Amino acid sequence: MISLPRNSRTRTWLGLAPAWLVIGVFMLVPIALMAVISFLEANPYGGVHFNFSTDAYVQIAFEYDLEDNLVFNPIYINIILRSVGLSILATVVCLVIGFPVAYFITLQPPSKRNFYIYLITIPFWTNLLIRTFSWILILGRNGVIETPLLLTGVIDDSLNMMYTNGAITVGLAYSYLPLMILPIYASLERLDFRLVEAASDLYAHRLEIMTKVIIPLSMPGIVAGCMLVYIPSLGAFIAPDLLGGGKRLLLGSLVQFQFATARNWPFGAAIAMVLLAFVVVALMIYARSARKRALIEGDL
Amino acid sequence: MADGVEAREIVKTFGVGTEHEVTALNNVSLTIRSNEFFTLLGPSGCGKTTMLRLIAGFEMPTRGDILLFGEHMEDLPPNQRAVNTVFQHYALFPHMSVAENVAFGLRRLRKPKDETDRTVGHMLELVKLGDLAHRRPAQLSGGQQQRVALARALAPGPKVLLLDEPLSALDLKLRQAMRLELKQIQRETGITFIFVTHDQEEALSMSDRIAVMSNGEVQQVGTPHDIYEYPVNRFVAEFIGDANFIPATVAGFETDMLVCSTVAGRTLRVRGSGDHNTGDLVTLFLRPEKVLLHRQGETSSGRLAGEVVDVVYYGSETSYRIRLDDGTVILAEDRNMLDGSRRFAGGEQLFVEIGAETLRVLGQ
Ligand SMILES: Nc1ncnc2c1ncn2[C@@H]1O[C@H](COP(=O)(O)OP(=O)(O)O)[C@@H](O)[C@H]1O
Ligand SMILES: [Mg+2]
Repeated sequence: MISLPRNSRTRTWLGLAPAWLVIGVFMLVPIALMAVISFLEANPYGGVHFNFSTDAYVQIAFEYDLEDNLVFNPIYINIILRSVGLSILATVVCLVIGFPVAYFITLQPPSKRNFYIYLITIPFWTNLLIRTFSWILILGRNGVIETPLLLTGVIDDSLNMMYTNGAITVGLAYSYLPLMILPIYASLERLDFRLVEAASDLYAHRLEIMTKVIIPLSMPGIVAGCMLVYIPSLGAFIAPDLLGGGKRLLLGSLVQFQFATARNWPFGAAIAMVLLAFVVVALMIYARSARKRALIEGDL
Repeated sequence: MADGVEAREIVKTFGVGTEHEVTALNNVSLTIRSNEFFTLLGPSGCGKTTMLRLIAGFEMPTRGDILLFGEHMEDLPPNQRAVNTVFQHYALFPHMSVAENVAFGLRRLRKPKDETDRTVGHMLELVKLGDLAHRRPAQLSGGQQQRVALARALAPGPKVLLLDEPLSALDLKLRQAMRLELKQIQRETGITFIFVTHDQEEALSMSDRIAVMSNGEVQQVGTPHDIYEYPVNRFVAEFIGDANFIPATVAGFETDMLVCSTVAGRTLRVRGSGDHNTGDLVTLFLRPEKVLLHRQGETSSGRLAGEVVDVVYYGSETSYRIRLDDGTVILAEDRNMLDGSRRFAGGEQLFVEIGAETLRVLGQ
């Protein structure tokens, strides 16, 4: 790198300018717009009136009763909690499935690994809507799971798997599973397998090798994978709509509904801000773990 | 007492049946006594690491048997062998502190906590790392990491410690200091050490016995003195230090002496008769430092006239390449004494003396 020490800071900033421009235009400005909209009055015909108002935020927890008094209304709080809960659940499901898959790929000879990675990315080539729709055929009444069980008499009535929290979780986990596998694989692939031998030499059995060496050392991938699943799960609306039947609204669907159908932009924006808050919390946890990791590796 | 480690007719072939088939060990038998500092010495690729990995249990022999204190190790995984390894690149756990690294084996063995703490403290003291217990490996120098690896492998109290070129990544001064230290630790702990190196000086200075290997085969096993003074073949002689080889024919016998005549027509006497007949072709072997240099002499007294071709100065000694008047070129080495009377310059005429005791007949 050739840079004049005297103004290298300025140069660094100038060099990063395009990146800042992109982040600014595509991220900060839209978020700022959302934040502004969330503090305006709703126009019942769509759009907003330019008057400052905190109504949108009040509306998250309260509603006006017939006498115009504010009363507690848990419906949106419940949606928020359910969204966070199902997103965490989907993340856990992805982790439980994704880690062994990533580990399996790592154990393959290098020439075969790319093939497996390729298989895992294939679903991304088709539309998420269509892929999620196929879950209706799997989980639904007379679907792939139920039909054989009904025919063989194992069950004699529908399992009613559709339109449940379970169905939504399955849909979310399915949608984002590759985003769990890929970073974990990247982490495991860099793992020095001589450390596994060292652990085994020092009397660790298989489970201990996993819990004391492999998992701690692939933590960056695990944390990154969890972020990549959790964050889009929070805002997802395709899986919740199709597999939850719209009966069980989640944050993503709610935002989409407020903007597209209810035409209450400020309320939709306020919900989006809440969503953003959960994402920011998750990212802060991520940043902390990355810092800790840097500390461990000594590259401060 | 049963022998420490016994390898019986070990064959190890990698990639059997593929085009990349490599026989890393070809019928290797070794007996390593308990409490011994045993060294596997040989050039890179001769199968030293493979031998260690077989003893540790990371690889299974294609054929043959390994016994540890009389017990067959067949199919026993590494975590069930009372053997620990100091890996060539240390393989320290980067996410654990120095103390946690050292405690790792003890914890897996479910030792009581107070005993673990005591042992870890003791080990860190042994390798002089007491005040770095809470550092991470990445915050240590190469030499310090090396000590952690040693402490970690010693802590569980293995019967045998395997060391795979543990000093090769250190700089010269540190390496020399660590040689002494390793030797001392071995004596203090009484653990059988199997040490791998490609550095003959390291092997000679530390070992009780050395096995010299090449191409997956053991060439010779013996004490450093045996190996240096009585190499069984040209490979061993050359690998352990510098050597002169003089082709000759057996011309006759005198009382406990072999009379040989060199290709150049010179007569050399060799102490010891051996199993030779008149007319046999033999190779005579001579270490350079055993060649005595003189300014004066008479060829009749057994001194050979010659001329200095090259001089290489090493500080404590000087190495000369000398062309004898019959055309034979030999290497000689002389200690640099205070008066400098025996220092020679390139082109100088001199006389060399080759004693009958210093010459050996080599097997081919
Ligand atoms: N896992 C392996 N697969 C294939 N060949 C191997 C493997 N390990 C070692 N070898 C080969 O076996 C020979 C001996 O290797 P090694 O024991 O590492 O030698 P050294 O430690 O003496 O340098 C080399 O030719 C090496 O290429
Ligand atoms: Mg090696």
